[in-house]
Amino acid sequence: MADIEDTHFETGDSGASATYPMQCSALRKNGFVMLKGRPCKIVEMSTSKTGKHGHAKVHLVGIDIFSGKKYEDICPSTHNMDVPHVKREDYQLTDISDDGYLSLMSDNGDLREDLKVPDGDVGASLRTEYDAGKDILCTVLKSCGEEVVIAVKTNTALDK
Amino acid sequence: MSAQAISELEAAAQIIMAPPDIVSNEQRHSAESIFLNFRKSKSPYGLCREILENSQNQYVMFEAAEVLKGAIIREWSFLLDTDRSSLRQYLVQYITSHEVPHFVRDRIIQVIAIMVKRTSIDDKGKERAVILQEVENLIINGESEKKLLGCYIITNLIQEYATTVKSADVGLPWEVHFKAKKQFEATDLKRIFQFCVYLISEVVKNDPPYDGIMAQLTRHLLQITERILTWGNVSAILPKRLIGIYESVYESDQSCALKLSSAWGEVMFNPEFLPLMFQIYWKVRDVDELAHHAMTCLVQLATLSGAVVSNVPNRVKYLHSYLVNFFKLVSNVTIKDKESLGISSIVRKIVMFYVGDFYKLPEPLIHDTLLDEVTRLTCLFCEGAVREDADPDADRFFSESLENMLEAWNSIYHDFHQITDESITSCGMRIFNKYVQCHLAQPDGIRIPDTGGGNNVDEDIEDNDRIKYKEQLQIVGLFGRCVLSHSLPVLFKILEARIASLLSHLLVMQHRAMTVNEAAVLDSIYEDIHWAVLISGHVLCMESDGETAVIPADIMRYSIEQFKNGKVDKDDSVDALVYVDARPGLPDRAEYLDHTIRVAFNVLRLCAIEDLAVSMKLGHLWSPEVSSSLMWFMKRWYRTYLLIPLDNYFNEVGYVFWSCLEKDSDCTQIQIEFIINKIAANLYNFQSEPVVLKDTVAVFSDAICTKRKVPYIIKTEAMAKLISLAENLQPGSLPSEVLRGLYKGFVSAGVYITSSSEKNKYYETILNPLRLRFKNIITQENFAKVCQDDQVQKVVIDLLECLIGIAKGSQMASVDTLFDFLSPILAELPVFLTFYKDYQVIVQLILELFGQCAKYMLCYLRPLDSKKLYESSLATVQAYAKCNGNRLSTETFAEESSCQDLSLVLDVFTCILSRDCIELFQATNQRELVRVTAADVALFGLNFIMPLMTLELLKFPNLCAQFYHLLVLINDIYPEKIANLPQDMLASLLKTIELGLTDFGNDIAHTALDFIHGMSIYVFRSKVQDTPFGSAVKAFLKLTMDLALSHQFNSDMMSNVSATIYCLICSFEDEYQMLVQTLIHLQSDPLVAERLSEAFENLIQGVCWTNQRDYRLRFRNNFEKFIANVHGFLLVK
Repeated sequence: MADIEDTHFETGDSGASATYPMQCSALRKNGFVMLKGRPCKIVEMSTSKTGKHGHAKVHLVGIDIFSGKKYEDICPSTHNMDVPHVKREDYQLTDISDDGYLSLMSDNGDLREDLKVPDGDVGASLRTEYDAGKDILCTVLKSCGEEVVIAVKTNTALDK
Repeated sequence: MSAQAISELEAAAQIIMAPPDIVSNEQRHSAESIFLNFRKSKSPYGLCREILENSQNQYVMFEAAEVLKGAIIREWSFLLDTDRSSLRQYLVQYITSHEVPHFVRDRIIQVIAIMVKRTSIDDKGKERAVILQEVENLIINGESEKKLLGCYIITNLIQEYATTVKSADVGLPWEVHFKAKKQFEATDLKRIFQFCVYLISEVVKNDPPYDGIMAQLTRHLLQITERILTWGNVSAILPKRLIGIYESVYESDQSCALKLSSAWGEVMFNPEFLPLMFQIYWKVRDVDELAHHAMTCLVQLATLSGAVVSNVPNRVKYLHSYLVNFFKLVSNVTIKDKESLGISSIVRKIVMFYVGDFYKLPEPLIHDTLLDEVTRLTCLFCEGAVREDADPDADRFFSESLENMLEAWNSIYHDFHQITDESITSCGMRIFNKYVQCHLAQPDGIRIPDTGGGNNVDEDIEDNDRIKYKEQLQIVGLFGRCVLSHSLPVLFKILEARIASLLSHLLVMQHRAMTVNEAAVLDSIYEDIHWAVLISGHVLCMESDGETAVIPADIMRYSIEQFKNGKVDKDDSVDALVYVDARPGLPDRAEYLDHTIRVAFNVLRLCAIEDLAVSMKLGHLWSPEVSSSLMWFMKRWYRTYLLIPLDNYFNEVGYVFWSCLEKDSDCTQIQIEFIINKIAANLYNFQSEPVVLKDTVAVFSDAICTKRKVPYIIKTEAMAKLISLAENLQPGSLPSEVLRGLYKGFVSAGVYITSSSEKNKYYETILNPLRLRFKNIITQENFAKVCQDDQVQKVVIDLLECLIGIAKGSQMASVDTLFDFLSPILAELPVFLTFYKDYQVIVQLILELFGQCAKYMLCYLRPLDSKKLYESSLATVQAYAKCNGNRLSTETFAEESSCQDLSLVLDVFTCILSRDCIELFQATNQRELVRVTAADVALFGLNFIMPLMTLELLKFPNLCAQFYHLLVLINDIYPEKIANLPQDMLASLLKTIELGLTDFGNDIAHTALDFIHGMSIYVFRSKVQDTPFGSAVKAFLKLTMDLALSHQFNSDMMSNVSATIYCLICSFEDEYQMLVQTLIHLQSDPLVAERLSEAFENLIQGVCWTNQRDYRLRFRNNFEKFIANVHGFLLVK
């Protein structure tokens, strides 16, 4: 368990801890947890015990919210696990620069240009939709000091 | 010509068998197509014969046999009798004179068997009798290899006749298969059996070990005998579906009983027959592959029933002979583990079939042998089971055998104990003692110490003991109640001794850490306690699921007896229970306690000690398994004993139970406080033990479901404390199901409060804090900002869990109060969902809440309230769809997440729809007109989520099934709503149904057929053939017919297919005629076209298109024959 307790991520802006402790038994499926030092979404959770009269242990399977890698851990249910603060924010896409950076505008009008076009299908569709002049909303996932665009949504007239 | 064909096939076979790096893909494909064409060749008999004679290539030979099989089935009716018999003779001659590989031989034998069966349909088995004669001669007189061949032929013949529903010979309709089976059964089955028995009697003259051929022959004989004894002798009256189940049951190794006609009497009652069967088993029991078949024969013989044993003297004589031979066997051998399964099955089955005849047996056999031997075997298997339990890798032979024996005991006890009560009691005591002993540590018991202390026990997969051994425990409980004066003292002494050791351990551990050895001892104490509690729970209480639990009569009688004999003191018994919380020790006058009370007192004392251990900071040393077992015992104790009503139970004044358990006594009130306090303590102390929490909530749920008892609980101080504990716990400290269970319990209990002002007050105590909590969250100024805050999220999650619990606890009497509370919250949830759209846990809880409201509340709601719920649900789903429509995500888990979400959405609609089937709301004077029906809501809602239901998502089987079931449900209730859908929506819906027929497997195809069937009925009834909807439905006629003809539906679905097609033809007869003509014209072969046209004529024979039941059934029968026929000759790709 040492590797987890040693890894506390500090976010650059606020100075607050990137994680907070939570008793293992209070975690839940589809929630978040730090596994092997990475922020993960819990996709499987089961309990077991050591010996018939032993105490409960929680077996966790999680998927790294940024890389999609799978991690596992097992922990006595009385112990604390680190839970990452996970924030998601929506931005309006205003421009895509030639070197592949996005210009994003938040609800309150702040502009940022430090995030890249996501890889793969989502990135490709983002470009086509943008070139077609559509109104695009990007969801930015932020946790443990990392940030990435995880979803794009094309606003249709209906949604407005 | 044929030589060329053969060499072409041989070349192709070489390519197919070649290693992948030598041949190219194209070569392989063309070789495959050569064989595919070969399989389709017409009248291939000459060619196949030539191949068998001349080719050296085994693959080609096998294919030739396969082609023969296909051709025979397809072209049987075109073949001349002489051709048939010459071909058959040739094949028999061929396999007797040629050395061929076994897979070729087997296939040829199958072809012969099919031919024999086909011929027997026309000649009533005349030819078969001749063939059997030949085969018998072969087995008796032939050389060793030929003997085996004869056995193969018989085995195949039996196999060919045995299955009718899923027969390989598809050319015949089921009725003909079945008739053939019955005919075979009546004439030749017994003959084969007698032949085998004769041969076995020859075999037993020799002593094992048998040499190669002898061993093989014996195995064949035993297999054939076994096959005949497990033959599904089903009555001809049963419908096909049931017969199909019988036949598949045989395959699954759970053979049905041996039910024979009286004609079999001469075989079964032959005095030498049973001894022979036991003797052959005795001889081969050391040879695994033979012993298994011989044992199955014995087990089957224990189930002999039917007309053959309708004569009572014969029946008893058979039973007597069987038992004598059986006891001779079991008393002379050391039973091996695998063997125990057979032996225990024999006991179980003989009891099942013959228990009513036991008392007709001669006395000494019953008393001295039967009961004694069965008891001995039970104890023996119990010990074996203990050994198996100690080794996690061991097979569970003895454990399963023990289950069999105990099941047998259950019948013996109930049917038999009036006749010979005393013997049964002594057997009961022996088994009870053995069982207890087997579960106690040494020196008192014989349990093998658990050496694998570090083994992981997976709580989500593995059942705990009280579920795994439930049946065993029930019967042991029954035996315990037979001998209460023995069993209760045994139990309380064990409990008291272990509690004393436990207390001394705890005292030591307060001061220092445990040694490894001490930890092992402690574990062993826990295990003893755990089992003592389980057994006590079963002796004291009977299973009472679904009925009122009562104190077992034996226990009442015993308690009264003790009191009358002056052995117990009422006040001491009461005192023990009243002060159980205050002192962990045993009272001074413990020997004056009523024995039942003393057992329960000890378990209650354990609960108190558990709390004590936690308060001493020793909770980490306590066993959660024991905590769970204690809660389980509490549940039973409360259910059966506490708050017994005044009337009908008691007529003895001053009786001990009365003072300890009666509803108005202080002692009872104190016990109730004790239990509720214990629940609260567990919720607080064991938050990290999900299983203990679950069992704790189970006690609570159970406690508040008895109307009569609830008022006593609600007025306790402990209950008020429990409610306040639930409110004030840190958010997130209880698992979801526990929190829900708790709130469900709170609101369910309120229903039983009679005074309405008190009731309102009670509900306010529970609901008001939640209302405030919700208000505090959403009225925060900066909610949009702080909603992502982790602490806020936790509060929201807990709150939603409580609300779900409340929805689940709704009942007719409370629904108005609860919905008044919920409805303003539900109305806010669409907005809420938009805030939390990226937080799946919360989104899912919101959707689940609506699902549960629809499921548990909607049917009781007043129309206006229903409308409110519809509106909130729709708005929520719309919000969900809006957040997720046109959205592309890079998350790895995105698809699974959407699948989970949508499944919840479908749940909401499915539950809403059932509202239109069940309406239970109390009629009021409200004359509101609510025009919205549940189907509107569901269809409208489906419209929102249709764009999200991608083809990829439908590949998740559960979601797919749920989706199609919902569509069928809507269609069943409101076909007219479907018919009137806007054109584009209808089109996409029907496209989905079309996909369902082909793309997602049989179950979904079945559902899609149901949908089409429903629509076609609607079209027919409301005469809307000429509307756009009608023509959309029309398209399914061709589609379904095409799919049926091209083998796309499996045989189980044929009755649904025929019903659907019939109904479609009723509306679209012209269309059908055109379809038939097209199909016939498409055939290039005039012979096939003619047969097809004939088949279509037969299909509509005697059928009118009026959608009446008798025509529908006639069409169903015709259709089945039609499909069997057409599949035989029509090769559709």
